[in-house]
Amino acid sequence: MSFSDETLMAYADGELDDITRHEVELAMRLNPDIAAKVNRHKALRSNVFNAFGPVLDEEVPQRLQASARSGKVVHLDSVRPLRAQPPAPAPERKPRWSWPEWGALAATLVVGVLAGSLGLRGSGDASALALIDHDGPLRARGALADALTQQLASVPGDGPVRLGVSFLAKDGSYCRSFMTARTAGLACREGNEWKIPVMVDSADVSTGAYRQAGAQMPAAVLGAIDERITGTALDAHAEKAIQQQGWQRKE
Amino acid sequence: MTFNAATIHADIAALLPRLRRFARAITRNREDGDDLVQVAVERALNRSEQWEAGTRLDSWIFRIMKNAWIDEIRSRVRRDQLFAPEEAGEHVGDNFTEAHQQRMAIQKAIGLLSDDHRIVIGLVLVDGMPYKEAAEVLEIPMGTLTSRLARAREALQGLLSDQARTVA
Repeated sequence: MSFSDETLMAYADGELDDITRHEVELAMRLNPDIAAKVNRHKALRSNVFNAFGPVLDEEVPQRLQASARSGKVVHLDSVRPLRAQPPAPAPERKPRWSWPEWGALAATLVVGVLAGSLGLRGSGDASALALIDHDGPLRARGALADALTQQLASVPGDGPVRLGVSFLAKDGSYCRSFMTARTAGLACREGNEWKIPVMVDSADVSTGAYRQAGAQMPAAVLGAIDERITGTALDAHAEKAIQQQGWQRKE
Repeated sequence: MTFNAATIHADIAALLPRLRRFARAITRNREDGDDLVQVAVERALNRSEQWEAGTRLDSWIFRIMKNAWIDEIRSRVRRDQLFAPEEAGEHVGDNFTEAHQQRMAIQKAIGLLSDDHRIVIGLVLVDGMPYKEAAEVLEIPMGTLTSRLARAREALQGLLSDQARTVA
């Protein structure tokens, strides 16, 4: 078995998934050349790390400690309304929409994803489709989260959510486009949750009937897919396999 | 000062040793490194409202520092005041142990890398940052990160081999 130098480097850096790691370890036992390459990567890593290690033990200069202590925040606060953030947000507090990567799309984002108004009649906790944690990103909840986790695009259910394409994103997470009666968006798996980097109101182009998946996906969502996707969308077989492994990457 | 501001100050203060280490690696020089840390900390505190609670503070400040350094490189190129790489590892002191010599050799070799290569080595090998976070700091896809890192390592390995040959 042969591996690219990048794979051997990633092994030395502890960046491989379990399966590939075991394959590399097996190859190292069988092939001394591979073992030597890995050891060279490991040695370089530890030598470079050690070369700068002593900096951590140096006393931090006073001027840096002082700038971290003061900075100019106090000054800013005096000229700008205080951005006091209570530990728990008041229910009516407006969410902060700040996904820098979607800056260009911000104008099309729906601000406010609301329970009830979405016409959801799904099972389980369908009262909320998605919600924003305190100062965090938008995350799928209820019927949407269930559909994203369980439903296959190739097997449309009769629930409130229709899935579009599923694909591997550049950051290594799996993302899925979705539509409901009045919204369309993109959700990406992060840990055990679905983060929603983009979600738009599509009520104006749909009158409640579902469209074919992908057929009239709003431009903002298509743009978000284009920005993230690596390779092509998962086919039905791959989608099922990835769904069964919990939308986590296993190579 | 708000509660958040007080927290961010303490968190940034705790990051100072790591920021200095990374800055030392990419600027090749103690004074420049500390200047860069100071600029980054001040920029971060000036823009603390841009930091999203719940995201990684360290990645955010490393990104600010990387951008500040790129700005600095550009302005130095304009002023034609780039440091000669030979300055790297100059403060030798009186420690001539083998381990110390090796550290100096590696610092010197890193000083000879291109800025892109030095920055990616600084993040992944000097700071020990995972690929995903390093890619976020550099604002590049994972694939670009790994290929750039592989090339940087190759270049560094080449420089170290050259050094070894020169010494021998």
